[in-house]
Amino acid sequence: MNANDAIVHTSKLTKFYGKRLGIEEVDLDVKRGEVFGYLGPNGAGKTTTIRTLLDFIHPTGGSATVFGLDTRRNSIEIHRHVGYLQGELKLYGNLTGKDLLRYLGNLRGGIDWNYVKKLASRLDCELSRKISTLSHGNKQKLGLVQAFMHKPEFLVLDEPTQGLDPLMQQEFYRLITEARNEGQTVFLSSHILPEVEKVCDRIGIIRQGRLITVETIEVLKSHAVRQLEIHFAGAIPKDRFIGISGVRDVVVENDMLRCNVIGSLDTLVKVAAGFEVVNILSHEPSLEEIFMTYYNEDKNNVK
Amino acid sequence: MLNNVFLKTLRDQGRSLLFWGIGLVAMAVIMAFVYPTIKNMPSVTQYLEELPASVKEMFGAGIIDYTSPVGYFSTELFSFMMPLLLLIFGIGFGVSAIAGEEEKGTLDFLLSNPVPRWLVVVEKFGVMIVSMALLAFVFWASLAICVSALGIEISLLKLAEATIGALMLALVFATFSLFLGCLKGDRGLSLGISGGLAVLTYLLNTLGSIVNWLKDYRFLSPFYHYMQPDTLKNGIDAGHMLVFLGLIVVFFVISIPVFERRDIAV
Repeated sequence: MNANDAIVHTSKLTKFYGKRLGIEEVDLDVKRGEVFGYLGPNGAGKTTTIRTLLDFIHPTGGSATVFGLDTRRNSIEIHRHVGYLQGELKLYGNLTGKDLLRYLGNLRGGIDWNYVKKLASRLDCELSRKISTLSHGNKQKLGLVQAFMHKPEFLVLDEPTQGLDPLMQQEFYRLITEARNEGQTVFLSSHILPEVEKVCDRIGIIRQGRLITVETIEVLKSHAVRQLEIHFAGAIPKDRFIGISGVRDVVVENDMLRCNVIGSLDTLVKVAAGFEVVNILSHEPSLEEIFMTYYNEDKNNVK
Repeated sequence: MLNNVFLKTLRDQGRSLLFWGIGLVAMAVIMAFVYPTIKNMPSVTQYLEELPASVKEMFGAGIIDYTSPVGYFSTELFSFMMPLLLLIFGIGFGVSAIAGEEEKGTLDFLLSNPVPRWLVVVEKFGVMIVSMALLAFVFWASLAICVSALGIEISLLKLAEATIGALMLALVFATFSLFLGCLKGDRGLSLGISGGLAVLTYLLNTLGSIVNWLKDYRFLSPFYHYMQPDTLKNGIDAGHMLVFLGLIVVFFVISIPVFERRDIAV
């Protein structure tokens, strides 16, 4: 990949904290202009990856570049063009929101304050109170404002929607979409699939320190196992539902059918339409289920 | 006051500086005002003269003479209380400068800006020097005003020199605690080690004046280099002052690479 296209490039990036594994041999590419979701359960290594990219911690193996610059040697140049939101956000409690933004603005220089004001009002930010008196959600909004305030080329957001109410989450998604439209690149970590689904172009899945897969949303979903429960008006013959491609683990109990579906639901729904359907319950694949899909595939490939 | 890390840190120190300043001024004023009374109490002087030599040695340079202002201020202010207060302030600041911010979790946040780690250390060290010097100055100024007003015969210059000596002593330990914070972002650890070391080296110097086998090691204690020259009487001694300067520079300079090299804790 051309250095101009890759905002992030890591090769065999590894971080051990003493003997404890952070991440191991992560090969990651984030392309210019995309919104990249970094998905994994808590403790999988998301924050470790991010903090290595920003040079807060140093890799024990492999290397990483951001904007084609080595993270160890050029961290200051990298920071200049990165907007960062910490995972567990901690701000200076003795400052007001306004003071905090002014301080950060002074450290960076060249801030468009009209834009900052607009951002703050869009997120309904409380700027005049001391940060120590703010609720978690209000602090998070300040964190978002400071990440976006200098219109960085690259936004690195660690669990950005934590503590935001649904309304603000929607506003956040709009901000991300706008950022993409402006040509900014976004790297966003999360442990919630529906969240990354909404805004991300591609998703990397990390589990126990290893990057399991990087896929577009469509591919990822098509791989996902969905649990389906269909209630019929009367008893149904089980054999009609066996052997449909992508449908497995079929269980029929009188007028109820339960099964797991991979990929498209189309054939199954068409078969079901031959009977009187009362209700369809679909469980969105949980993150863990998607992990298991890939995890099992991994194991199968090894065999 | 929010233009850079230096000014922001100084601003955060504001209230703390105010109260420490009040404390130091109060100490200087009280000690100065009490002196004329004590001087004219023969029983006190007599009592002090009868103390065993080893006990006398523990205060000041062996001579406790409350009839002379130099003896009185040496013993009552400069041998213990004044350097102790500066020391506590200095270690407290040194510990919180890096390790404190790290434990609060704001260090990630600060360093995500285009501010190099070394610059953060330099600016925080700068605030340490400025705020401690400010406290020392306020102490000296209030003492100078009081002794002048009371007509106590003591050189204001010598008072300044003794204050500078105490400031340098305190800076040694403060810089050491800054260094420990840079080495490992553990506030408790760096507070414990710096404080413990201050107590141990203090004991080394005072006991070293009494216990024979410790005598040869007294030079290892910063307190030895502080007490030995008897600055209030003789003025600043360049040799001992250089020891302080050397220690401060060394601790400060090694702070930077150890901080640059290590991981920042979440």
